[in-house]
Amino acid sequence: MSTRKFAADKLLWETLGRWKRSSPELDRIQFLKTVPFFDRLSNRQLKRVSDIMFERTYEADETIFEEGQPGAALFLILDGKVAIEIYRETSTTRLAVLETGAFFGEMALLDDTARSANARALERTRALALYRNDLNEFVHRHPKTACQIYHSLAGMIGDRLRLTNELVQMKTPADMA
Amino acid sequence: MSNGQDFEEKERERKVRRTVFYRIFAGLVLMVGGFLIWKLSGLILPIIVGALLAFVFRPVKDRFRIRWLPHELQVLCSFAAIGLALFFAFNTLRKHIPDEEQKLEFKVRLQYKLNERYRQLVAKLPERKSNAVTPLIEKEVGPLMDRVNQALALDPKERDLFLKYAAGYNGKPPGQSKFVDYFWANQRTGKYVIPEKTPMSPAPAVAPVGVAPTPAPPASEGASLENKLSAWMLAPLIFIFLGFDNGQIRRFFISLVPNRYFELSLTVLDELDDAIGRYLRGTLLECFLVGLALTLGLILLGIPLGIAVAIGVVSGLLNAIPFLGTVIALVIGVGYALIAENVTPLIPGLNPNDLALYVLILVVIVHVLDDVVFQPFVLGSAANVHPLVVVIAIISGSLIMGLWGMLFAIPTVVVVKTAVATFFKELKDYRII
Repeated sequence: MSTRKFAADKLLWETLGRWKRSSPELDRIQFLKTVPFFDRLSNRQLKRVSDIMFERTYEADETIFEEGQPGAALFLILDGKVAIEIYRETSTTRLAVLETGAFFGEMALLDDTARSANARALERTRALALYRNDLNEFVHRHPKTACQIYHSLAGMIGDRLRLTNELVQMKTPADMA
Repeated sequence: MSNGQDFEEKERERKVRRTVFYRIFAGLVLMVGGFLIWKLSGLILPIIVGALLAFVFRPVKDRFRIRWLPHELQVLCSFAAIGLALFFAFNTLRKHIPDEEQKLEFKVRLQYKLNERYRQLVAKLPERKSNAVTPLIEKEVGPLMDRVNQALALDPKERDLFLKYAAGYNGKPPGQSKFVDYFWANQRTGKYVIPEKTPMSPAPAVAPVGVAPTPAPPASEGASLENKLSAWMLAPLIFIFLGFDNGQIRRFFISLVPNRYFELSLTVLDELDDAIGRYLRGTLLECFLVGLALTLGLILLGIPLGIAVAIGVVSGLLNAIPFLGTVIALVIGVGYALIAENVTPLIPGLNPNDLALYVLILVVIVHVLDDVVFQPFVLGSAANVHPLVVVIAIISGSLIMGLWGMLFAIPTVVVVKTAVATFFKELKDYRII
């Protein structure tokens, strides 16, 4: 094999390798690794989760979901900013502004109770959505992976409950006074 | 103009452009889709059947999971098992579908047996001459028998063909001499009721002179059959390729949905999938149970296994057509019972001569069993459609697509009903309407 042909082949394989390493699928798996929700999952498991996720792009000021609508999916922000807000007749309360890597709407993974707040993209935002029934189906197809996701979800809800309790306890003496 | 206003103006223009583009694109898709449906109408039915089979058998594919086997191989294995079962069922059925010779033989046997039974019924024995029932039967049933004889009688071409087959024709051995005797007996059978001559009786129809019948050229028939067969080759292909799908088709359609309807469309698709799947799989199971019950009943009545399975498969499949399915099962079952010979029922005490009556009772029992046990147990209230809608749907289906239309009429009604109900419910839940 001539040196020139060898160099050409090397270049081709390197290009292919780079192309494969930077495929959207791998990027997505790399991203999922950084999300605490999926930190217990292996690459193989993350690939399976990634396969059942939907990627959506929201323009600035576009509503992702509205308060009172039945929840069906959890959203993960790939890039962009999302505001979680509550609209009342006279005012709007902004509860949080979420950025890349954050997730919201996680209660929808448990049941279809109404959304408790509005989610609105503050700028052009790409998000991954995990649909509840797909995760339910995962329980039958890949029980171990599904269990780990539910475990993370339970832990996170527990943390929030503890935080709420602490807030209530902090607020109660002041209210009584 | 400030930068902000300029941006807003550009965004507005972009929105208008987008709307116009989407509308033109949707119009084009509709036109091309309509043209393709019109031109490729022969492919629609095989595609629907293949897709329905893939949909109905999806749980089998999902249950069949071996960790170390790649997805494609798992799908192939599960579909090979389903394909083998279907092939076995249809092969058994095909063996018992009569060919040209058997059809002629069947007509001759049926005509002979019916006449024999009629003659037994009204046999003019001396002690029955004074019986008032006999003339009544002759008066009422006689014309009916004449019409049956007229319908079953072989035309000159069929007669020639029957006699050729009886002597051995087209590489087939000579037929049973018993059936030739039946044939000659049928030829000797006269009319039971002689029509009275009326002065106003119309003149016999005269065939128009010079107008020769124009039978369809056999070559075009062959080509049409070939076309149909090649179109039906699509059904298993669609069945297999949809089986390989791991949710990609759903993801593609969901990706086309605007963000506002994203969660709504996921929920609607899922609920539809669930409701329609339950109905279709329930109907299939119900048809299977009806076919099984009929087959077992016929075996108990002494009908040979192959024929019992064939009647069971046909009746089970046609059971998907409400009302008419039972009637067709009755006609097939009683038709066979009338020509069956040397039948020994497995249930002691049954008279083989009354086989038709037993088949009638069996079909009624299976029908009641279907109404009381199978349908409520398997389908529940999934197919809660008004009987009038059922009748109209079946007639409309038969007008549009013949037997296939009748078969698909009720599933279509149920699918549309479920789709509309689910869609409106979810639109309200999501506060879109």
